[in-house]
Amino acid sequence: MSYMPICNSDEIGERSMKMFNVDHTEVLVGRLHGRVFACNNSCPHRGASLVKGELKGDNVVCWMHGYEYDVFTGNLQNMKSWKKENTWMEQSSEWRKSGDLILYPSIEKEGTIYVCL
Amino acid sequence: MSNPQSPKGNVPNVVALEVLRKNGIDIDKLIKLVTAGVGAEFTTYYYYTILRMHCTGLEGEGIKEIVEDARIEDRNHFEAMVPRLYELGGSLPRDIRKFADQAGCPDAYLPDNWEDINSILKVLLEAEQCAIRSWGEVCDMTAGKDPRTYDIAQRIMQEEVEHEAWFIELLSKRPSGHFRRKFPGQSPHTGSQGSLVHL
Repeated sequence: MSYMPICNSDEIGERSMKMFNVDHTEVLVGRLHGRVFACNNSCPHRGASLVKGELKGDNVVCWMHGYEYDVFTGNLQNMKSWKKENTWMEQSSEWRKSGDLILYPSIEKEGTIYVCL
Repeated sequence: MSNPQSPKGNVPNVVALEVLRKNGIDIDKLIKLVTAGVGAEFTTYYYYTILRMHCTGLEGEGIKEIVEDARIEDRNHFEAMVPRLYELGGSLPRDIRKFADQAGCPDAYLPDNWEDINSILKVLLEAEQCAIRSWGEVCDMTAGKDPRTYDIAQRIMQEEVEHEAWFIELLSKRPSGHFRRKFPGQSPHTGSQGSLVHL
């Protein structure tokens, strides 16, 4: 496993995230509770760009359908929709299916964030 | 058994795709986004047909024509982008069920309280807003890298933005710059795209 330097630590403030293109792979890097995380920028549900979403608790919320994934475990946590009153439960189970986030190991050392693809 | 979707002969090097790769486009991801986008247009066309049928009574008849414009134009979006999907090396799923399951937007189901015309308008608005997000992803991915896909996607986007404005205006009475199409499903932006020879 080889870690690649992605950015300076001060580029990723608390509760923020930023997308980087690494060898044709879009990598989302963020920070929650002082801890750095890295994952693929593509939403496992329909491929939307996660950097356009927002952070809520330990989750990244996709802007397209409101799917929420834990940024540290990668697990799908919630599929509440932007419809506010309803959830996607009314949709067919096949449409609702989603994998988990693709996570990348990340470390922070001497003012630099490193990610291993 | 051979895959019926596979080409029968050898496909030579496609320069139009080579250029995209050199520009940094992940073609497999683009194909997924485009397939999801045309899936949403096709299913929306289907569900809008049901919604339009339920636009009755004094209020319903008042919006029926505008629902029809959006319905036919969404079908036109499917027609406009599908040829590009095949050029990119993608294809429509052989089974329409699979096509619907991977659509980029949820099904625009007829609401239970459809007699309240606002409930139908809300479904229409949500569907248009999802389409804007869906084509926005394609536009963002292709801008400055894939002018052909970008051109079609941005034309679709323009009409989806107009559709969103129509339904927002109907729901909120926001002042409107919109008057009317020349004929149902005119598609002023995508009309010259894809296989829309009937327009």
